[in-house]
Amino acid sequence: MSEPIARRKSLVDYRISATRCESCGKVYFPPKSFCDKEGRASKMSQVDYFYKKGTFFTGSIINSPTNKFEYLESYLSGIIDFPEDNLKLPGRITDYIPPSGADISEFIGRGVLPRFRRLYADGESGIVYYSSLNFSFEDDYYPFQEYMIEPSGEVAKPGIVGYGVYLPKFRIKNEGAGVLGVKERTVSFADEDTTTFAVEAGKRALIHTAVESRHVKKCFAGSESAPYAVKPLMATVSQALELGEKYEDGFFSGGIDSQFACKAATDLFIDAAALVAYPAFGGEYVMVIGADNSQAAPGDPLDYTVGAGGVAYLFGKRDVIATLDYYVPYTSDTPDFYRREGEKYPRHGGRFTGEPAYYKHVLTAMKTALTETKLTPKDIAYVVCHSPNATFPQRAALEAGFERKQIEPGLVVASIGNLYSGSSPAGLAAVLDIAKPGERILVTSYGSGSGSESYLFTVTEQITEKRKRSISVKDQIENSCRQYVDYNTYRKWKELS
Amino acid sequence: MKATSKPKPIAAIVGVGRTVFGELWYSNPEKLLFDAGLKCIESVDKGLMRRDIQACYFGSFLYQVTNKLGLIPGYMSRELGSNIPISMTEAACASGGSALYNACLGIKSGRFDTVLVGGFEKMTDRSSKIDDDLMFAADPHEFDAGYTFSGLHAAIMTRYMHDYGQQDERCRDALAMVSCKNHHHAMGNEYAQYHREYTVDDVNRSALVADPIRLLHCSSASDGAAALIVTSVEKAKELTDTPIYIVASQQATDDVSLYTRESLTSIKTTRLATEAAFSEAGLKMEDVQLAEVHDCFTIEEILFLEDSGFYDRGEGWRGVYESYESFKGSKHIPYVNGGKELVVNVGGGLKADGHPIGATGIRQVYECFKQLRGEAGKNQFSSDKSLTVALCHNIGGTGGIATVHILMRDA
Repeated sequence: MSEPIARRKSLVDYRISATRCESCGKVYFPPKSFCDKEGRASKMSQVDYFYKKGTFFTGSIINSPTNKFEYLESYLSGIIDFPEDNLKLPGRITDYIPPSGADISEFIGRGVLPRFRRLYADGESGIVYYSSLNFSFEDDYYPFQEYMIEPSGEVAKPGIVGYGVYLPKFRIKNEGAGVLGVKERTVSFADEDTTTFAVEAGKRALIHTAVESRHVKKCFAGSESAPYAVKPLMATVSQALELGEKYEDGFFSGGIDSQFACKAATDLFIDAAALVAYPAFGGEYVMVIGADNSQAAPGDPLDYTVGAGGVAYLFGKRDVIATLDYYVPYTSDTPDFYRREGEKYPRHGGRFTGEPAYYKHVLTAMKTALTETKLTPKDIAYVVCHSPNATFPQRAALEAGFERKQIEPGLVVASIGNLYSGSSPAGLAAVLDIAKPGERILVTSYGSGSGSESYLFTVTEQITEKRKRSISVKDQIENSCRQYVDYNTYRKWKELS
Repeated sequence: MKATSKPKPIAAIVGVGRTVFGELWYSNPEKLLFDAGLKCIESVDKGLMRRDIQACYFGSFLYQVTNKLGLIPGYMSRELGSNIPISMTEAACASGGSALYNACLGIKSGRFDTVLVGGFEKMTDRSSKIDDDLMFAADPHEFDAGYTFSGLHAAIMTRYMHDYGQQDERCRDALAMVSCKNHHHAMGNEYAQYHREYTVDDVNRSALVADPIRLLHCSSASDGAAALIVTSVEKAKELTDTPIYIVASQQATDDVSLYTRESLTSIKTTRLATEAAFSEAGLKMEDVQLAEVHDCFTIEEILFLEDSGFYDRGEGWRGVYESYESFKGSKHIPYVNGGKELVVNVGGGLKADGHPIGATGIRQVYECFKQLRGEAGKNQFSSDKSLTVALCHNIGGTGGIATVHILMRDA
């Protein structure tokens, strides 16, 4: 296709945008500027199905796909019904591998939810096309969540106002006791990539926070596996999530993609908190996303610890669930892990990545945080460290004086793998899932190259009310619909993103 | 045979020609059309010269894609060696039917009295990409949902079986019987792509292309061309003593997207075009003895039987099943409904004769012309009543367009 077509498609496909005749109520997809029945005198309003639930009306299991979809091999395509609007849409069922001998009629009537996924790309170097006209079954991995806007509360100290975690449905097991404590890992489906993780995580963060997306004026997207070397991932997120006030077909919001290996997202927590407190910013919220389809060369030790997924945080001053109370960064030029421009996989310095890189930076930041805040590990309920595996963060936290019970709730790497930019954000989310008001959380990230920062958060009363709108990390880890794949499938799907 | 009123002819057909349908690797599309056109001109009883043709109406779906050529009238002018007006019609699988519809308008307007109408396609020139190309006849959102053309028809078939078949295995078998019947009919058609009989089990065990559609439910990718000489009623009498009259020529359109349709188990354009054609001709469905129906997938033939009113809504599969099961003869298998009989796709239809897309709508008329004139050789339709009324039904996409032409021997 072409760049202009990609632009026009995004306006319709990212949110399943339609128009509704205000006189007769008929909904048109693709959107029309006038109603067939009422004519041009009728006013047409915008409507979208990004957060709606449909049902599978009919479809087919495609065994001989078009060339563009050959990468999916065999899949279920459907016509999705939104009966309340008398609207039907075409959509592929994603996260689903049709079993041999499946009875197509058994899919009819099942609830389905739109999912932001990759369609295809114009070759290796061309445009990547995305759409929300992909659906997963409601009774499968992810349940339906309504996007309700709640009234805003009091202004207080800046901090986290909500978060969303997206972990793919598919997993791979490491044999035996695992590799460096990593027992199983999340695996991207064939149509997923870092952009889709970021959008899905951001969507969940908006649902959890229950604020209007137009109040989110900035979006930072941290990643080291973005599909484009040049073209901001955050722009796709902003378009799909409608961040900022809408003007024509764009939005009054900004942002940037960041790169600092695994701390590309956490590094910007302080910037997000600072922005919402800065009068000239003029916005209510800032979104910070850490997402990666973590890269690893086949057979490399990383190939047995990497996961896939995204985590999004919203920072603001109203209805804060965890105030950001303290921040300390520490950086040095340490080449422990890197990927040169044009290279497919990162390289690392083996044992060098431990002592002079990870431990030095993480422990310096953690110990400085304790010293400067005059807190002891006993004053802190939970500690979260960047988790390239399950061994490194435990050793660092123990050495800083923390106990295992403070470490384990955030040590989700054992079940999901290393999400790179999403790693410590996922650990923090797992802790926020269970933390009680008044408890303190110390988060220390690490990014190769190298740097760490420690944040101290204090949980507020708001966390309890918002929890009903989140799907916890634990629930996702233990989800009975998660599906295991073998090494070859995992590799094949990872290479597609 | 009793018509409700005497049909008034719009135009007449005085000559027809076609190529064999199949994988014609060594022929380019212009050559195919040239071959069909030449046979067509030479078939005119009292002789017709190339210079007598005043205009051409051609239909093709993918010529620009499969052969990377534009300005098709220019290429056709070269083939014809003439500078007459040439119109190209693209209406997906109904390109041929739409070309004939336009030709009828040209004749009816009085501008022309002798035109050449042709349809052609060269699908095997792009075999590895043809599944993607066929989706040009669908909404891009359907393509992006992963659909293939067979997949879209599978979605229709799924819903039909769900709404009307209700787990009855005879419904599944009826969808296979359409294929068996059409392959049986093609045995006597020397131009057909396939000369092989299949059993219901063969169809039901063939590869699942797009569940529930199997390979033997599908028409094939074919190369081929067909052509007609269409004239005014007056001119026809100068060229032959036995013209075949076009007594209705209708076209209807609908949204290209399957998912927007009022019903997914009925083709609105078929209903509209059929109703309009019967109204134009002053005929009823029960007057039709022979129908060339657009069976790109077997479900489409059953939908036609319902949309044309031959069977009631949801009863088509039952009619097909019972007709096929009760058939005791050896030649053409008619559909039976009470005392009414209808032979469908006497030459094998799209399923077995082949489906070079743009040629199909013209090939249907070719078949009816031969049958109505009693020139179909060993495939000649035979009945207690002499054959006088035949209908051609041509669909584009999943029903975004349909044309219906009614042909009569004596009008």
